[in-house]
Amino acid sequence: MITNDIFGALQLMVVGMLTVFCVLLIVIGLGTLLIKLVNKYAPEEVTNKKPMAAATGAAGQIDATVKAIIDATVAQITGGKGKVKNITKL
Amino acid sequence: MTAFSDIVASNGTYIIMYLLAFVLLYLGIVKHFEPLLLIPIAFGVLIANFPGGDMGVYQADETGRIVDATGKVLTENIWEMSLPAIAHDLGLMNFLYYMLIKTGFLPPVIFMGVGALTDFGPMLRNLRLSIFGAAAQLGIFAVLLVAVGSGFFNIKEAAALGIIGGADGPTAIFTTIKLAPHLLAPIAIAAYSYMALVPVIIPLVVRLTCSEKELKINMKEQDKLYPSTNKMKNEKVIKIIFPIAVTTIVALLVPTAVSLIGMLMFGNLLKEIGSDTSRLFDTISNSIMNTATVFLGLCVGATMTVQAFLNLTTIGIVIGGFFAFGLSIASGIFMVKITNLFSKKKINPLIGATGLSAVPMASRVCNEISTKYDPKNHVLNYCMSSNVSGVIGSAVAAGVLISFLQNITL
Repeated sequence: MITNDIFGALQLMVVGMLTVFCVLLIVIGLGTLLIKLVNKYAPEEVTNKKPMAAATGAAGQIDATVKAIIDATVAQITGGKGKVKNITKL
Repeated sequence: MTAFSDIVASNGTYIIMYLLAFVLLYLGIVKHFEPLLLIPIAFGVLIANFPGGDMGVYQADETGRIVDATGKVLTENIWEMSLPAIAHDLGLMNFLYYMLIKTGFLPPVIFMGVGALTDFGPMLRNLRLSIFGAAAQLGIFAVLLVAVGSGFFNIKEAAALGIIGGADGPTAIFTTIKLAPHLLAPIAIAAYSYMALVPVIIPLVVRLTCSEKELKINMKEQDKLYPSTNKMKNEKVIKIIFPIAVTTIVALLVPTAVSLIGMLMFGNLLKEIGSDTSRLFDTISNSIMNTATVFLGLCVGATMTVQAFLNLTTIGIVIGGFFAFGLSIASGIFMVKITNLFSKKKINPLIGATGLSAVPMASRVCNEISTKYDPKNHVLNYCMSSNVSGVIGSAVAAGVLISFLQNITL
């Protein structure tokens, strides 16, 4: 009985590991194919850098709208206790 | 009237269970080890072990018969009982257990939430590293083999024990429900405890298997020397198609894994679509996920009654689970070492160590190890690749075990 079970476990080990490797190899192949197809046929993502440029002025000034958003976020997170003293663009 | 007389008459077994519950609560609350899971599990253990409380889960045998600790038959066939009858006769926790866990409902629901919180970006950016998520499943099958060889577990129980090596709680629970439901409590506890101990186990295995030179391999420098040819030009579109494609492929190859992989990818798809499905994403990643976690934790904890937990099988599971976990980490590391023998582009073995699931803690731990040897060597993104593929790998391994063993009679 145990010998049969050991044989069954060995079979499972071989089949299981082969299946896991095959599935992940297929996933890798699929991902690679997907990247190639999307790179070829789908338009590239347009990264809009304008708002960032507008957000900080020539002298590194923070745009009023951005400052208001940051103020509101800090106020919400800190329950109104926090205050923004300085904003530095990294 | 009170529970004291039964507790005193139990020769301290109930006290052991209370101590276990308190230790788990301590680890969850004070040490912050997987608190979202350990605290509900620990509290489930506590409330399940008060005599007369009717909060402990009774395990039915294969015919559906339930016998209590005194040998009294509570029901001849639970499968013929309605849910209200279960709640009335066996208590609230049995109602929850037989409705939510025994049906296999909660693990896929949690997988849906996990999918919503998973980012496949690092995996797609380093696709080749995903293969180490397969190597790290060896611990599951190696421990299955050893457990069967020991003669202490039958093949179904050994498979449920081995799946601890997948380091994935919902997968371990799902597989155990299907193959050896009577072992659910110790297996779930062992799986979640070892996942919580990832910051201890991974450094231990790494120390035993890796040299300092190997741990100093800088992946970014390797990327500069041998740049990848697969640069994504439109990540959003790829991330939307990827879960759909993976679900389809896995469903065709291993249909029994679909309930896990399908739900994982569904959750991920809702996340990647963005604003159109943001309400659904918000629901599954918060309300549903949290509700499922609460009930899963409480029900799993409630299965740990004196009768079900304090026996030699549990000790075997704790030891076997540890080896499954350690072997999974080591096999991922050795797969990297073998790859490095044949490849010009060297890979840090820590990326193999994260081939088991336990996302993202395993990756964070490995990043800490690498930065200890070289503060500039951040491997987090690379580790996430094998870490995320490990989730797919362990679900596929579970699917294989279930499809082969579910219908065999012992």
